[in-house]
Amino acid sequence: MTAVAAKPAAGGAMNPTAMAVGVVLLIVILGICWKVSPGLGLMALIGMVVGGVLIGFGTHFVPVGGAPAAMGQAPGIATGVAMLAAGAGLAGLFGGAWAAELGPVVAVVTGAVGGGLMMAITCMMVNFIYVFGMGIPAASGKVANDPITGDSQKEFKSQGTEGHGLPFVSFVGGVIGGILAGGGGTLIYLMILDVYKATLPTMMKATEAQIMPIAISAAGIFAVGMFLVNAVLTAYNITGTIEGPHDPKFKRWPRAIVASAVASALCGLAAILIVVM
Amino acid sequence: MTVKIEVIAGGIPHPKIMVAGILASLVCLYLSYLNVVTNTEMFSFFGGLAIVAALIWGSNTIKVLCSYGIGTGVPSAGMIAFGSGVIAMLLATKFGIAAPIVALVLAAVVGLILGYLSNEVLNMKIPAMIQSLTELAVVGAFTLMGFAVLMTGGFTFATLTAGSVTFHGMSVPSYQVSFIGGCLIATAFMLGALAIQHPFNACLGPGWTQDRMLMLAAECGFLSMIVAAIMSFALIPRGAALISLVIALVGWGYTYMQYIGFSKRDAASWLDAKPIPDVEGQ
Repeated sequence: MTAVAAKPAAGGAMNPTAMAVGVVLLIVILGICWKVSPGLGLMALIGMVVGGVLIGFGTHFVPVGGAPAAMGQAPGIATGVAMLAAGAGLAGLFGGAWAAELGPVVAVVTGAVGGGLMMAITCMMVNFIYVFGMGIPAASGKVANDPITGDSQKEFKSQGTEGHGLPFVSFVGGVIGGILAGGGGTLIYLMILDVYKATLPTMMKATEAQIMPIAISAAGIFAVGMFLVNAVLTAYNITGTIEGPHDPKFKRWPRAIVASAVASALCGLAAILIVVM
Repeated sequence: MTVKIEVIAGGIPHPKIMVAGILASLVCLYLSYLNVVTNTEMFSFFGGLAIVAALIWGSNTIKVLCSYGIGTGVPSAGMIAFGSGVIAMLLATKFGIAAPIVALVLAAVVGLILGYLSNEVLNMKIPAMIQSLTELAVVGAFTLMGFAVLMTGGFTFATLTAGSVTFHGMSVPSYQVSFIGGCLIATAFMLGALAIQHPFNACLGPGWTQDRMLMLAAECGFLSMIVAAIMSFALIPRGAALISLVIALVGWGYTYMQYIGFSKRDAASWLDAKPIPDVEGQ
């Protein structure tokens, strides 16, 4: 059995009971948050859930190739979801965090642009290396024609592979994924930062200027943690590799939405409980 | 349906390593409380030993989980371990002396829910998934708490956020010179996340042996401890940081030599393997 064939085939089917349990869990967590911190905390938690869902949904667009892509046997960027998400999403998050003082809209857009830019550069350089370094053309194995350009793929696909390189639709998918994930990560960071800025001065009996390093650093590390949790859960959903928005695996996104929402709510609740308890 | 792609038996059974890992980490974390009792920071190195114990346990857990071929690569397991661990650990620091126990419980709850989400909602259907993610979250929380103890001498929220800078001979409180305020926690996060995923990632394959992987885990732990001990010079007295650094260097040297020994034992060339013999008649 080859490494490619040994990939676990986590079914594409939905599990309605588990989805219902997930939704109930989400409502319970939101309820706990409403109980401990009805105003600020609940609004922040909802923001974090939205951010987490954006990350989970965005990661589906990113063409993750994994080890087969590194050998030119599958399309996509030749690394795992965790690495790609950390690269693109955190680039966006840092960009957005830098712009945090300019207001939430500017910050989220900056984060989205940062994430998208990072993915665009990554996809560009990946194709450079594929084409000029490894000498392989870009061809999708999942569709006959590129959904955006309409270019035929079959002639360029080598026999025995699932396609190779980074077709145009995957490139566009990568940029969209970077935009969504970068924006989502920044949104989580901003929400936690708002809560901490409002509550830490009274909790630690210090001025806002004094606690800013704590607030920024704690919000940052929470955002990184939630980002990675969401990215890895999405990676589990697509069992490690996906070609982009045209891949049949993309249809599994509703599962990731539920999982990301519950996971973000859980982690966000912990972040809020630190300051309200 | 999942294919278990790598079935390697032998070695110490996983439950034994798990119990030993939990006990050793908890005991080491609590031994660092001697800092408070004796009013010094000489016992901060126990945090480093907790890191090593937790990482040894964690790398074996990753082995159990990734034997099923989860398809996402071994590093992702390390990332989710620390992503969920950091959240439980930070909340647990609010509970004072009970922090390590609370970290254990909180991380287990977070890991359990994440395990349920991946196994049922995301339909992974891997038998070891829920238990492994629960364990990994606890490992992540313990490792980060170990780093916190190593760098600051304590595991309470107050210790992790308060620091002081000496300005013209006067000690001025500053939140910026602290484990969280200085964002040393981010470095600790990455040091731990790399150290937990590396051992199995480096040792997997048909020649996998448990003692070699666990020794590499200990080596990675001590290597991270060296870096953390150097960073601890900024936050704890020089003598205490020096003790941590010396222990880390000695531990790293010993485990590294052991690991090289195991690698030579398992290496094909060292076993003096002969080339594949020619088939008769060719």
